[in-house]
Amino acid sequence: MTFAERMLKIDRRIIFAVIGLCTILPLLYPVGLAIRISPEVKAVHGYIESLPEGSVFLLSLDFDPASKPELYPQAVALLRHAFKHNLRVIGMTLWLPGTGMANEVITRIAEEQGKVNGKDYVFLGWSPGGSSVIINMGQDLYKAFPTDYGNQPTKGLAVLTGVQNLRDVSYVVSLAAGTTGIETWYVFGKDKYKFELGGGCTGVIAPGLYPLLRSGQINGLIGGLRGAAEYEVLIGQKGRAVAGMDAQSVTHFAIIVLVILCNVFYLSIRKAKQGQGHGSHPNVV
Amino acid sequence: MSFELLLGAWVATGLTLFIFTFLYEDNPLFKLAEHLYVGISVGYAIVKTYDTVIIRLIYEPMVKQGDWSLLIPLAIGMLMLARYVPKATWMSRIAFAFIVGVGSGLAIPRVVSSFILKQIEDTVRPLASMVQGSPTFTYSLTDPGSNLNAIILLIGMVSVLFYFFFSIEHKGPVQVAARTGILFLMIAFGAAFGYTVMARMSLLIGRLTDLIEYAEPRYGRPSLWLAAVTVIGLVLWSMKRRPQAEPTEE
Repeated sequence: MTFAERMLKIDRRIIFAVIGLCTILPLLYPVGLAIRISPEVKAVHGYIESLPEGSVFLLSLDFDPASKPELYPQAVALLRHAFKHNLRVIGMTLWLPGTGMANEVITRIAEEQGKVNGKDYVFLGWSPGGSSVIINMGQDLYKAFPTDYGNQPTKGLAVLTGVQNLRDVSYVVSLAAGTTGIETWYVFGKDKYKFELGGGCTGVIAPGLYPLLRSGQINGLIGGLRGAAEYEVLIGQKGRAVAGMDAQSVTHFAIIVLVILCNVFYLSIRKAKQGQGHGSHPNVV
Repeated sequence: MSFELLLGAWVATGLTLFIFTFLYEDNPLFKLAEHLYVGISVGYAIVKTYDTVIIRLIYEPMVKQGDWSLLIPLAIGMLMLARYVPKATWMSRIAFAFIVGVGSGLAIPRVVSSFILKQIEDTVRPLASMVQGSPTFTYSLTDPGSNLNAIILLIGMVSVLFYFFFSIEHKGPVQVAARTGILFLMIAFGAAFGYTVMARMSLLIGRLTDLIEYAEPRYGRPSLWLAAVTVIGLVLWSMKRRPQAEPTEE
């Protein structure tokens, strides 16, 4: 068996170990690689910056703990920005399994920024129906959410003064791990009730959302942990996303090297077989 | 530090390490974590659904606020349960008909408007711009709105449509167009795969960041202790399994 053949049959656990090391070493010893801000992330940041103080910002945390590493840092950065800018924040989720986590992140960041529940922010929790919830909120927010997550009646809350439905919301950002998420907010929300919509998403669904960005259906997009890191840089408060960027770069480099090596080994085996006059596929015995 | 946080750190660390053991081999520690995940997820969903739907959205508005109009959707919803009674199964069709009818009525016009008409509108962009009365052509590849990108988008869309056009044989110019479509498709798949790799690596980074944080003394170093326990557990399991596995291999 040649070296190339041995390499192509390498125990996959060795590759796992290599990727594990490439991830953990930059986390332990960060080097601080530069982070370039993309226009789509800047657009979300810029729109929040442009809102006058006291504007209503709705953050829909449409993900569950399985997507926490990517979307939780986005939520933290967006909430810090919104609270610093003295926006009135409405939090909610369309994903049932993420309810507790969404409440935790909003409450924690609000406390960190010295904001008061009911006055500066409210977490509405989860309501069943997905797209129906958005339509319901577009007609009457208080019918969709008669009480908040803490079971306090939403009618009369200071943070919701002047807010009757989605038309009274200045900006909506959906942090989505799939459907129900950004597309649902566009189709059943923005297209009908004409509020501005931004998005944050996992890396897996980001390519599918770029057509919405280009057509102006959403005004900005924060994609994956990378997008969260860019937002952290924009607000000048580096957190977990920025800390993970070195590891992300190193693992990507390792994967590129592994792909190239695999192709080199494969081609060398094929060339050797062709030289022997077989000319058949190297994996065919 | 509160007891809940401490307990949470130990449980999260243990379950993460147990799940990671699958990278070595399928084993009882992985299965334990996997079953706990499924069980807790379902339990959490049932409790939250009961609290939100039954208590907050149905019971309290009806009993405390006297909003008895909620009996209508409640009755339609209850018809779903008729599927479990063979003689009354037909009644569930009323509920399904309601859901399908309302759902389609709401979704079809909105989806057509948002994903078909709006996207077609964005695809058909001017291939040259008029600046101060004279036609100009913008070449920037990084600007999504440039004329060059509008042409690339148009070529990509038309060629991919040709690739999926099966009514005529792909020969001559049609073959050229279809092959160009394959190139665009490959680039799209590559971009999607690249993003997927990035997302998976982000998940790994997230868990490892937690494990590093939980290796701190303020948590009682659960990462180190539980890593040792996990490794010992795996070794013991491998040793116990080996004598049984060898005869079957022969």
